[in-house]
Amino acid sequence: MQRLQLEDVVKIYADKTAVNQISLGVDEGEIYGLLGANGAGKTTTMRMVLGLIYPDEGKIIYNGKPYSKELRQIMGYLPEERGLYPKVKVSDQISYLAQLRGMSAKDADKSLRYWLERFEVPEYYNKKIEELSKGNQQKMGFIAAVVHRPQILILDEAFSGLDPVNVELLKSTVKELRDSGTSILFSTHRMEHVEELCKNITILHRSNTVVQGSLKEIKSRYPREDVTLGTSGEVNGLEQIAGVSKVDRLEDGYLIRIEAASAAQQILQLAMAQSTVHRFEVKEPTLNQIFIKAVGESNE
Amino acid sequence: MNNMWTVIRFTFMNKVRTKSFVVSTLIFALLITIGINIPFLIQLFSGDSNDADGGPVRIGLVYGEQTEIAEELNSTLGNITPDYELVKYEALDENALNQDVAEGVIDGYLRFEAQEGSSFPAVIYSSEEEYIEPQLQAALQAALQGPKTRSVVNDLTLTDEQINEINTPVQISTNSVADQTDGGSEADGLMKAADEPINFIIVYALVILFFVTLMSTGNMIASEVTTEKSSRIMEILITSVSPLSQMFGKVIGMFLLGLTQIASFVIVAVINLMLPHNVDTMAKLDLDFSAVDPMLLIFGLLFYIFGYFLYAVLFAAVGSIVSRTEDLGQAIMPITMLSLAAFYIAIFSLGAPNSTLMKVSSFIPFFSPTSVIVRMGLGNAPMWEILVSLGILLVAILVFGWLSAKIYRTGVLMYGKRPSFKELRKAMKAYKI
Repeated sequence: MQRLQLEDVVKIYADKTAVNQISLGVDEGEIYGLLGANGAGKTTTMRMVLGLIYPDEGKIIYNGKPYSKELRQIMGYLPEERGLYPKVKVSDQISYLAQLRGMSAKDADKSLRYWLERFEVPEYYNKKIEELSKGNQQKMGFIAAVVHRPQILILDEAFSGLDPVNVELLKSTVKELRDSGTSILFSTHRMEHVEELCKNITILHRSNTVVQGSLKEIKSRYPREDVTLGTSGEVNGLEQIAGVSKVDRLEDGYLIRIEAASAAQQILQLAMAQSTVHRFEVKEPTLNQIFIKAVGESNE
Repeated sequence: MNNMWTVIRFTFMNKVRTKSFVVSTLIFALLITIGINIPFLIQLFSGDSNDADGGPVRIGLVYGEQTEIAEELNSTLGNITPDYELVKYEALDENALNQDVAEGVIDGYLRFEAQEGSSFPAVIYSSEEEYIEPQLQAALQAALQGPKTRSVVNDLTLTDEQINEINTPVQISTNSVADQTDGGSEADGLMKAADEPINFIIVYALVILFFVTLMSTGNMIASEVTTEKSSRIMEILITSVSPLSQMFGKVIGMFLLGLTQIASFVIVAVINLMLPHNVDTMAKLDLDFSAVDPMLLIFGLLFYIFGYFLYAVLFAAVGSIVSRTEDLGQAIMPITMLSLAAFYIAIFSLGAPNSTLMKVSSFIPFFSPTSVIVRMGLGNAPMWEILVSLGILLVAILVFGWLSAKIYRTGVLMYGKRPSFKELRKAMKAYKI
């Protein structure tokens, strides 16, 4: 039984379909990536999972059961446009939010102190949100989402707007949460984060699911198309090899786009015959490329 | 339910500590203090020049040729008010009199001057300022009415009793029809108190308090909701607590805040009224707090609570459809107008509490909180009408509470420009709310 399951969920707003038949499942201790361009339906999907709006078709199942009010206590949410009360002290509002999620005031305070300590900012306890920098406000927003130790955590663009140090800090926290069993539904535009964190992903485009599956499987589904070749001298005749579609000359070698896997070996043989090869790699496609390809294809 | 308490507590604690709340409460308390002390202060300032010893004001009375009238005035004025003491001067010696006025022996002096074509002399009051206090004027007029009548009817043969009867003003007694028909003892109870001036003050205070606290806390509710929306904390809130408990938690929290404010005003007022100098002044002004009808206060509180909730849910609903605080003022305009209307209908009808306007508006939920109070305190409102009005108000709260909750639930998820009613309805359908 998966912790969170969406089955053929459809959401139609008056004149347009916002989400068209999305199905996905998130296990315990898994980070699930939800990708898509702006307006693809990510936020609507998340809002449905959170129970803010109801699906028109299909169902959402949590721990084997449909939505109920009690789920509010085991769900955490970091919205894309995050915010807290600007004029209220960090301790007051986070403990308020934790209590709304069913924690006692004492536990809430303890948990808040732990998280402030974890983010190395215990001095913010008595600060007002408006006194903090934007990045730190975001950390507080993250704390607000996890302070009650949710089983299901929904992070909408969790890392946007953070400096690299804080991104690493947050990333390691997210991994920690995953390892402690939290199921995380994670949306982002930044593919490198997905590659690092997510096991399974769904790419949405214009309300439709265009790519879905485990990251490994998706990558193997897309042919390896790029060959990097590093040689000490010039290599001639690369264009003539059957299956090579494009050759770019780089400073220390070539970047070759191939259409057939067999071409790669021929490139290597040709290069070895003409020069010394110090680098040869058949690159697996990056998620970025897959994303652009998937979104681009369905555009046509 | 538990969550609602958390919301109530958070709303209350957050607002009660804000500077603006503390300052505005203090200013209002100060105004109340000043207001209550004004009668005493006026007395103090107007009194200190002539009766520093606290005794009555001394007025010179020139007997001259009108000894008879002067004698009579001297004897009757004492019956009317103890505030004035007449000092006898045999003849008109302006120099001596003016000197006495200047030295403060007397405040001013009265003399009589025979008038052509009138059997009664003209009465002339001279003082430092060319001015006669209204109280003194009224007292003199009353005291001289008898002598005047007597001098006019002198030639006719009338007994003193007849003259007295002429002088007595026509008495008009009031009687309620309801009293006789359905023997409404409650209405009777309400009626008796209506004559007391203190009821006028209580009604006035209730209407103003209703308006002031409603406006301030209502605006706070709306702006709080809009702030939550514009700061986007709303999305976290609505995933943690149901919009209904959130909205009513906020409304109740603000209501308690308003009550706290009113309670502090009442405490300030009571403390001020208990001060010895004010007790005397109030007694002199003929204000008797024991004459306040307890029913008026009970129903005043009931109508206050229900009226408050009716407006408050609307404020919350409007706050929820606005995305930016800048747009809020415009959006709450209709509610502000409505509450202004309720306020002015009541204030302008203080003198005519039984008018048709009052009767009609006491059955209109938005106006009934103020108009019923006026009718109860100053007019005659039969109990059944009050109860029906209360019932209508309750139904209105349920209807508008339900509607507001729906709007709130929808509105908090809608960003961008303020939605029209059509868009709102569409969104409600889309969200399946």
